[in-house]
Amino acid sequence: MPEPVTAAADEVLLALIGAGDATAFAAWLAGAEDRLRGSLRSFAERVDVEAVMQEALVRVWQVAPRVTADGRPEPLLRLAIRIARNLAVSDLRSRRFEPVDAEALERLAADAEVFAPGPDRWRDPLLLRAIEECRRRLPEKPALALRVRLANEGADPDARLAERLGMRLNTFLQNVVRARRLLADCLRKRGIDLALELS
Amino acid sequence: MTERERLIEEAAGAWRPRGAAGVRAHPAWADLDAAGRREAFEVARTQRRLEAALDAEGLSSTARAVLARIHGAQ
Repeated sequence: MPEPVTAAADEVLLALIGAGDATAFAAWLAGAEDRLRGSLRSFAERVDVEAVMQEALVRVWQVAPRVTADGRPEPLLRLAIRIARNLAVSDLRSRRFEPVDAEALERLAADAEVFAPGPDRWRDPLLLRAIEECRRRLPEKPALALRVRLANEGADPDARLAERLGMRLNTFLQNVVRARRLLADCLRKRGIDLALELS
Repeated sequence: MTERERLIEEAAGAWRPRGAAGVRAHPAWADLDAAGRREAFEVARTQRRLEAALDAEGLSSTARAVLARIHGAQ
């Protein structure tokens, strides 16, 4: 599990990522992704946030060598949010949404919670043990569907993953849903609410 | 599983088609109404948190997809 990104580590991380260190970029991603996604919630009705996020994060990596620390916290997260919002607004405009709509949506994207510290529960051994125990309790097929989707790293559509497992698409997706619900229920019984603990 | 549930679950996954201009919207996302898109967003957020929690390096399938693209370009 990664250490959470602290303000003190910002400059070191930025230097490493700027120098092309993909491991450092992965550590930054682990702490930044959820906050970037949260900052785009107001666009969710009109823009495919997942597509915007992936494109924005690749662009962050591409421009990172030219980013310099400005003394403010989270320079890369601020850059990622700016790139992602620009991509979202550009997408809206390309589909002929009124500019005022795009601007209103952008204003709705609140900054307040985004720059709160990243997840710091990674080091909590009780949380990690609970997650591992709950994963071990998953029935075979939901566990398999979840594992295959994770291992695929977003490379193939669900229909192809289902085909490889000899499942119909609906069956595959039902197993993914079941795995998520069972994990969430199992964790809830241990007093862990994912929405709170990992946010 | 209803058609709507299938679309939400597919849209909440990390796979996205890619073209010359970059990553494109999931076809299932395009077929959802506004409420379905909001739901897909929330499902994706929960799913990514779970994925990151289950991963030894704390990486979700979104992060893994981005890293795969970066490594592929290097």
